[in-house]
Amino acid sequence: MSAGVRRASTVGAVALALIVFGLFPLVVTDPAATSIAVFTLIFMVATTAWNIFSGYSGYLALGHAVFFGCGGYAVALAARDWHVKGGWTVFALLPFGGLVAAAVAIPVGLIALRVRRHTFVVITIAIFFIFQLAAFNLHFTGGTSGILLPFAPFSVASYNNPFYYVALVILVLTVALSWGVRRSRFGLQLLAIRDDEDRARGLGVKTGRVKLSAFVISALPIGMVGGLYFYFVGQIFPQFAFDPLFDISLALMGFLGGIGTLTGPLLGALVLESMQQYLTQRFSGTGTYLIAYGVLFLAVILLLPRGVIPTISQWIRDRRAKRAGGTEDTSREQAVRGGVAGVAR
Amino acid sequence: MSDLLEVSGVSKRYGGVRALSDAHLNLSEGAIHGLIGPNGSGKTTLFNVITGYERIQQGAVRFRDTEITNAPPDRVFGLGIGRTFQLTRIFARMTVLENMLVATQRAQGWLRSVLRIAGSAAERRRAMELLDYVGITRLAHDPAGTLSYGQRKLLELASLLVADPDVLLLDEPAGGVNPTLIEHLADRIKELNKSGKTFLVVEHNMEFVMNLCHYVTVLSRGTPLVSGTPEEVRSNPAVLDAYLGGEDDPATQRELAEEAEHQRPAQAPRPSAAPPAERGTELAGQPRRTVMKAPVRLGGAEPLLSIRGVTAGYGGGDILKQVSFDVPQGGITCVVGPNGAGKSTLLATISGLLRASQGEIRFRGRVISRLSPRRILDLGIAHVPQAHSLFPQMTVRENVEMGAFTIGDAKLVRQRLEAVEELYPIVRERADEKAASLSGGQQRLVEFARCLMLEPAMVILDEPSMGLDPQIRRIVFEMIETMQRQGKTVLLVEQNARAGLKLSSHGVVLENGTVRLSGSGREVLEHPEIGALYLGGAVSAATASPAPAP
Repeated sequence: MSAGVRRASTVGAVALALIVFGLFPLVVTDPAATSIAVFTLIFMVATTAWNIFSGYSGYLALGHAVFFGCGGYAVALAARDWHVKGGWTVFALLPFGGLVAAAVAIPVGLIALRVRRHTFVVITIAIFFIFQLAAFNLHFTGGTSGILLPFAPFSVASYNNPFYYVALVILVLTVALSWGVRRSRFGLQLLAIRDDEDRARGLGVKTGRVKLSAFVISALPIGMVGGLYFYFVGQIFPQFAFDPLFDISLALMGFLGGIGTLTGPLLGALVLESMQQYLTQRFSGTGTYLIAYGVLFLAVILLLPRGVIPTISQWIRDRRAKRAGGTEDTSREQAVRGGVAGVAR
Repeated sequence: MSDLLEVSGVSKRYGGVRALSDAHLNLSEGAIHGLIGPNGSGKTTLFNVITGYERIQQGAVRFRDTEITNAPPDRVFGLGIGRTFQLTRIFARMTVLENMLVATQRAQGWLRSVLRIAGSAAERRRAMELLDYVGITRLAHDPAGTLSYGQRKLLELASLLVADPDVLLLDEPAGGVNPTLIEHLADRIKELNKSGKTFLVVEHNMEFVMNLCHYVTVLSRGTPLVSGTPEEVRSNPAVLDAYLGGEDDPATQRELAEEAEHQRPAQAPRPSAAPPAERGTELAGQPRRTVMKAPVRLGGAEPLLSIRGVTAGYGGGDILKQVSFDVPQGGITCVVGPNGAGKSTLLATISGLLRASQGEIRFRGRVISRLSPRRILDLGIAHVPQAHSLFPQMTVRENVEMGAFTIGDAKLVRQRLEAVEELYPIVRERADEKAASLSGGQQRLVEFARCLMLEPAMVILDEPSMGLDPQIRRIVFEMIETMQRQGKTVLLVEQNARAGLKLSSHGVVLENGTVRLSGSGREVLEHPEIGALYLGGAVSAATASPAPAP
């Protein structure tokens, strides 16, 4: 019974979220607000995609801006060289941006995934800087002057809406992808790698392949929203395409919501990106938003160190366990937990 | 019978230490093979070589007709060789059922694994059957990290069986597991063997090995010494020599080990064997520990540590419920009880790693149950935890010095180090080697040495003999007695209840988070109830025994 109820409530929540997100730009028509919404959706996609790799496998990647930038440049260059007119056709190039990003992820992953944990983090950062440097210096990227993307001929009043809905579609697909991975055998293998990679190998998990696949899968949506982002902004420069703050934002958003969960990254990006954009608009130019950012982070680290979603679900589980108390199960569970003392914590 | 697995001429070195030299081993199909040998003889290394966790330059490993020398672990598993680890490894943040499903991909291509949902109905059913088989079905949806040590062992075994391997390599399946569960495990292994599985079992519990195995190989310093049936091995004098360090006694090793324990008269507790004043002066050069100078006049009867009504747990529920007992000054107090009874939790609560939700703990009359672990350590309580706790990448000497890092006085540290080296020669002999290169037993001794660097008044030991061969175990027990003779009060948790209680002046039996029995070591040992309590079915809640008694 309870499984059915849970499923029904999940379906209800998803439907509700889709309705709210679907109607948002129709209800709130202020361009300032819808532009915040576009950026927020883009970061929700990026964080969810990043989480497919980093959250599930436990490998903290701090170089996903590489895929964001590559997606962006791929779309910009394709639009320029193939003389694509502004408008909906540019959106059709987004999958191409995603594929380029995924293709780039293969050699990057092959190199970075040779090592584990801290070394891996450092290598991803190093690779990121190589790409940034290349973007500044290569001929075809236009160097520091960047590339203009085609002008989007949408009406001024609802200029943001096409971008919003395209981002929403990508978000839905990405969340579905993340959910599918989590439920698949492949996702289980990623989690096993996170908990104990050596033992996972001993149970037949081909860890190299599994990690690389997750890495490539996570690059694809990020490449797509990279193209979308720079089409929205209008031009692409190396310092924005390969921005170290992007890498850090993804990790922070992930940790805020709770990495390794499905909804955590969504929540983290929703809260942080909208807040950041709003504060930037409000106090443009000043660093006020950074202070608010810092305060929020301190609060989360102090109060919910594992992220919002895992803390809440643990809390719910504990309450449920307490409510079921008095039955034989509790004493058993208590006895069971005894063993954790010496071994796990 | 044909040879299923064949290891020939394998050598492996770590730096200057030769872990295996020209090792060979043949497993015939459908048999249970035992692999025994002292700590450091290369048993785990051999496992690692077979399963691809260690690479070798010399020698060959063959499975059926396939050469698997230096094959990666996932390939070895794919061919049908599954293994468990000495320090049980499970996926702690996944549920028990998810743990079971990891290995189901064995026979599948990679693409299919990406596309398929984890655990088809049939696989889940199979996983549940196997959980039922080992007796932990009821925990299927709990996070695996909440299982007790024994339950982890069962889960680890069951999660291998999902993939239906032909050969199972079990590294100390009975280590740290209570007797009921050991029997349960042995039965399962026998049944699986009847259904055609081949086993290779590393184990220090001789009774377990001798009753279970068809063939036993004794490894000594990386080379197989003897191979044969249990009877042949048992009666081979060379084995006794390797195992017990040259004691020629005709009894079996196990009897011998116990014999050795018998010979030493149980040390009568001498409550005031350690005049506190002596330690006080020694610690005078140590500003942080001035607390110790507080006038502590202890009558012989006053306990060093008293625990009153302590309740504690990890969020989910209370593991300790109203625990009360005293640890008398200068004695050895042994806490025994089934897996999951709360023994480790008790120790963690005393040393401040876990905070009691109710009750109080007094040390020398002073309430310590609200102090930080660091303060408690400063007061003179040193805790040696159950799992390996050395810093693996640091040298032995650095590890031991870490024990005294709260002491600022370099000269004092040097003096202590010399004293400790005197007692534990290994600290000097292996000083510059990485701690990870030591065998389990050697690491234990270094852990002891480290905890003595602070000259604690009380030493807390969690399962000191776990995973040790009889010879090292005897040394460890002797070291515990030495600690006591030198005035330390010892509180230990011991799975080997008989040996632990024999050694101790006081015994406490913990079950399900409550004290069931306490008294002198002998009293507890000879109490008619202890057999039923400790060996019988009353421990089901924690041990997954199939027939739980109320």
